[in-house]
Amino acid sequence: MRWLWYLVREAYANLRTNRLTTVVAILTTAFTLACVGIFLLSYVNLRNAANWLQEDIKIIVYLDDAVSQEEVQTLRERLRTDRLVAALRYISKEEALGEFRVQFPTDFHLLEGLGENPLPASFVVTPAPDFRSPEAVARWAERIGGMAGVAKIDYNQEWIDALAEVVRYLELTAIAVGSILSAAAVTIIGNTIRLALFARREEVEILRLVGATGAFIRIPYLLEGAVLGGAGSALALGMLKAGFEVFRHQIGLVGRFHGFEELVSFFPLSVSAAFVAVGMGLGIVGSMISLLRVGERRR
Amino acid sequence: MFVPEAIIQLIHVSKSYDRRAALSDVTLDIAKGEFVLLMGASGAGKSTLLRLLIGEERPDQGQIFVQGKNVGRLKQAEVPYLRRKIGTVFQDFRLLPNKTVFENVSLPLIVQRASMADIRRKVIEALRAVGVEHKKDQFPNSLSAGERQRVCIARAIVNGPVVLLADEPTGNLDPERTAEIIELFKLINARGTTVVVATHDPHVMTLANRRALTLAQGTVVQGPG
Repeated sequence: MRWLWYLVREAYANLRTNRLTTVVAILTTAFTLACVGIFLLSYVNLRNAANWLQEDIKIIVYLDDAVSQEEVQTLRERLRTDRLVAALRYISKEEALGEFRVQFPTDFHLLEGLGENPLPASFVVTPAPDFRSPEAVARWAERIGGMAGVAKIDYNQEWIDALAEVVRYLELTAIAVGSILSAAAVTIIGNTIRLALFARREEVEILRLVGATGAFIRIPYLLEGAVLGGAGSALALGMLKAGFEVFRHQIGLVGRFHGFEELVSFFPLSVSAAFVAVGMGLGIVGSMISLLRVGERRR
Repeated sequence: MFVPEAIIQLIHVSKSYDRRAALSDVTLDIAKGEFVLLMGASGAGKSTLLRLLIGEERPDQGQIFVQGKNVGRLKQAEVPYLRRKIGTVFQDFRLLPNKTVFENVSLPLIVQRASMADIRRKVIEALRAVGVEHKKDQFPNSLSAGERQRVCIARAIVNGPVVLLADEPTGNLDPERTAEIIELFKLINARGTTVVVATHDPHVMTLANRRALTLAQGTVVQGPG
């Protein structure tokens, strides 16, 4: 087991000997990966919000004021038997007024001035999970809109679509920025390893002469790359978490966004672990690139 | 053709760098257990020959056998295993300054994944054989040139190589230390290890009093095997 101890000790010695380079590499890797993390965190939260809104979609079928009770009953039966409809709720004109009064108590006097209740009766439809796509909802709305007694159909699809579009762009940006910054992290770590190799070229040469295999020579440097990448990504994660908590606290203080802080979330443990693992992987790739030529000097 | 009793055999070997011939059509045999001096001025091709023997380089032409293995045809991954059978000693010692004498000598055993007990036993034996056991915890920079060369020799013999190659091993030593090192090589040779010493120093030839192959401008000019 001395050989294993030797490899670990060499990796540690490399990190310690080039202390300043090691610290600089960890810090630059951390800032680089933190930038990737910001995009990733924004993307994850916006995607969650889009999914949540998509699941919470409600279609409101407003009825004509002149609709008869029979027509309401017919419409109710049609909607209840529709396979797109998962849940159905009827809101009469009176109930609509009551809800308005609860939701907007200070503005209620505006309606009182009109004398007659201007709010229409409606059906609130929750679409079945399989029919929540924008296309399915649009097709259904068109079909139901033509029925007798229906005045208008309203749903929050447009801005859900807009959000989905933003999420798609953010996804592409995250991939592009992530790729570029990951390449930067690989380069930073690769250069650090190259410096370590240069500083220890004599030792590498001696190891080769005494019969060390290429793998034996490379392992300490691969370990070093993994440690640099892992430490950098862990630090980036810490910075992100600190920044995230500050953001959440601050946004909670702004009245307009009150409650928003409960909707945003940090990476779950599995994603955090994957983030560090990816950092380690990038470090190993950086080392491998620098080590490609070691042990292949035979002319 | 491979000669079974020869542990080292070169057959019409040529090697050049940038069209300048370092070795030209060299053919020689070194028998198992032999002590051979490779004489020649600087640039005669001695170091090139040693580098070819440890698989550091490939010949442009010809074949090289070490203990029956065609070194020129070894795959890159096989070269480390060849080097584990060959001990190498250099004029500039090539010891790691940040490691103790014990750690320096243990390197060939560590790369072979020897056990802790084996490493301890063999390193102490090797250091005792070259007379620097008492220096095992010191760092190379605190040793004299002669002691450093002894440590280098201990590292070369620690895993019981079949061949010991030395490239100008006395180049940095005074005459007294030179004589001691040559005596050490004779002792190692007497225990069965084939020893090849490359030197430009005629004094070494006198001290060793063994078969000498003289190289000049890349060819063997005297005493081929």
